[in-house]
Amino acid sequence: MNPMDRSPPSSPPTQPAHSSHSVVLQVLLSLGVLGVAALLAYGATQIPSEAGYAGIGPNFLPWVVAAALLVCGGLLLHQALTGGFQDLDEASGAPRADWHAWAWVSAGVLANASLIEHIGFVLSCALCFTLAVRGLRIAEGKPGGGWMGLLRDAAIGLLLAAPVYWLFAQLLAVNLPSLTATGWI
Amino acid sequence: MEIFEQLMGGFATAATPINLMWAFLGTALGTAIGVLPGLGPAVTVAMLLPITAQVEPTASLIFFVGIYLGAMYGGSTTSILLNTPGETGTMVTALEGFKMAKSGRAGAALATSAIGSFVAGTIAIVLLTLFAPAVADWAVQLGPPEYFALMLLAFVTVSTVLGKSALRGLTALFLGLALGLVGMDQITGQVRYTGGVLEFMDGIEVVLVAVGLFAVAEAIYSAMYEGRTVSTMNRLTRVRMNRSEWKRSWPAWLRGAGMGFPFGTIPAGGTEIPTFLSYATERKLVAPQHRAEFGSTGAIEGVAGPEAANNAAATGTLVPLLALGIPTSVTTAVLLTALQNYGLNPGPQLFQTSEALVWALIASLYIGNVMLLLLNLPLIRLWVKLLLVPKPMLYAGIMVFATVGVYGMRQSVFDLFLMFAVGMLGVLMRRFDFPIAPVIVGLILGPLAEAQLRNALSIGEGNWSVFIERPLSLGLLLIVLLVLITPRLLAWRRRA
Repeated sequence: MNPMDRSPPSSPPTQPAHSSHSVVLQVLLSLGVLGVAALLAYGATQIPSEAGYAGIGPNFLPWVVAAALLVCGGLLLHQALTGGFQDLDEASGAPRADWHAWAWVSAGVLANASLIEHIGFVLSCALCFTLAVRGLRIAEGKPGGGWMGLLRDAAIGLLLAAPVYWLFAQLLAVNLPSLTATGWI
Repeated sequence: MEIFEQLMGGFATAATPINLMWAFLGTALGTAIGVLPGLGPAVTVAMLLPITAQVEPTASLIFFVGIYLGAMYGGSTTSILLNTPGETGTMVTALEGFKMAKSGRAGAALATSAIGSFVAGTIAIVLLTLFAPAVADWAVQLGPPEYFALMLLAFVTVSTVLGKSALRGLTALFLGLALGLVGMDQITGQVRYTGGVLEFMDGIEVVLVAVGLFAVAEAIYSAMYEGRTVSTMNRLTRVRMNRSEWKRSWPAWLRGAGMGFPFGTIPAGGTEIPTFLSYATERKLVAPQHRAEFGSTGAIEGVAGPEAANNAAATGTLVPLLALGIPTSVTTAVLLTALQNYGLNPGPQLFQTSEALVWALIASLYIGNVMLLLLNLPLIRLWVKLLLVPKPMLYAGIMVFATVGVYGMRQSVFDLFLMFAVGMLGVLMRRFDFPIAPVIVGLILGPLAEAQLRNALSIGEGNWSVFIERPLSLGLLLIVLLVLITPRLLAWRRRA
């Protein structure tokens, strides 16, 4: 065999790196913690320190927590920059996020929050259910069903939201918003 | 015997039809929650906290504690059949139990788990009956400095004892403390960290954070990362044990109960340690002819012991909650919130001011334990059917309940948006291995600890030495230091 004929050893196709090991994300996370610490410190300066008998006032704990988060954020940043977070248990699931699925689920939750006081609990939660189910199904790779599927999910959502509403609002007297004044929808 | 009379009085209350119904609902719901992935007892109780506005305290506490205990029973089912532990306490059950299920002995694993939980639960409740009042009596001597030190111990253990990284645990704790700072300071009325947002004046609602970090985060995380994860379920065989399995199980149950209960009562972070300890013990003590089963076909002692330990520890956590007012796990922290909703002051005085309620609750534990045995042995096939619900439906359904819980507390749309933001925070934390329990414990216990700190310093007239002058508080603070330093010391010595 001709020694000049050396072909590069074939390597198996590499999996995308688990996003929790990404240095960029870890640094951003640490900076986030430092940011919270800075916000807390800023807020603490606005709190007067009337100490009374105790010798410490309402601004004591804010300063302690701000300082502690500053230290923690600093240590996290140090770890992130020198080889990544230590003893990191790799989180379960895929290496990368499915943002398409995320968008549907988030749309469900946010739509629910925006609409619940306008169209009532039952309809709003049915909508949330429909959107969230679609998102979770997309994550599994089977969006399923087109318009019929959407209608079926909406029906299941109604079948779930309505009895839950009746149970909590009528029986347990929890204050939940309704569309009409009847108290049943 | 005074305790006996009080307990009988408790039974009289707990055995009324209404309270029996609540006990049954709680244990049944708890079992379902334990079986289903994605929800735990803490977040379920949190979601149902709005009922405290209408339902009277004894009934709702019986209900909530029923959920807590039921989830312990139900969680073992998932561990054995699906290898996905529902609760941290059932993680160890997944080790041997799943192996047993794979070798076709799921029924025996489930039987030893249910019966062992019942036996250990009963032992633990009896110990609770005997010890809780005694602890409450003794605890009257505890003052603010000691309480502060105890809470500090709870903070430190929940952040550093579990999980791999103490740094991430402490970061989570301080985040929880920071969240607890938002709102009006109890002592001076000073408004803190509201940023002009009106909704923050009353602070950040506990239910919101618990539901956001657990339920919403779980659903979003599942959508983002776990769509392709497939879990296979083992076949369910008849739920019973033969003679040899009984013979091997019952000593393990007793050992497990003996280990579990003490760990539950101390602020040592809940049910993980005793279950691992029990597993290690059973492995060491197993008869030589069965030793090979560990890790291969599954040894029944490896299920019997940890399950008993888990249940005994869970019951044990009720001792510091009822006797001292100090929660040592996320679920007991949420139970504390429930007590606070009723204006009940948890602490040693609870045994005096709300004697009827506490003893009814303890009596209901006995009743609930029996109910759980019945629910889990013959009716187990029913619960297993729940596992056939497709995951998208399950998690989307959880969103509906989450909305009930969060909106039901304060009727605030802002809270729902905040819940989403907290949910995203939860996803971030889960992805980067930040434990979530310290956030909840910090949020709930933080304001209480601050109050105790300021009271303690008031007593000492501004002198910090008050903590060191009182022997008990000094002792507790030394333990806190030990818990913080020892792991680092051991690791340093190992490296050297």
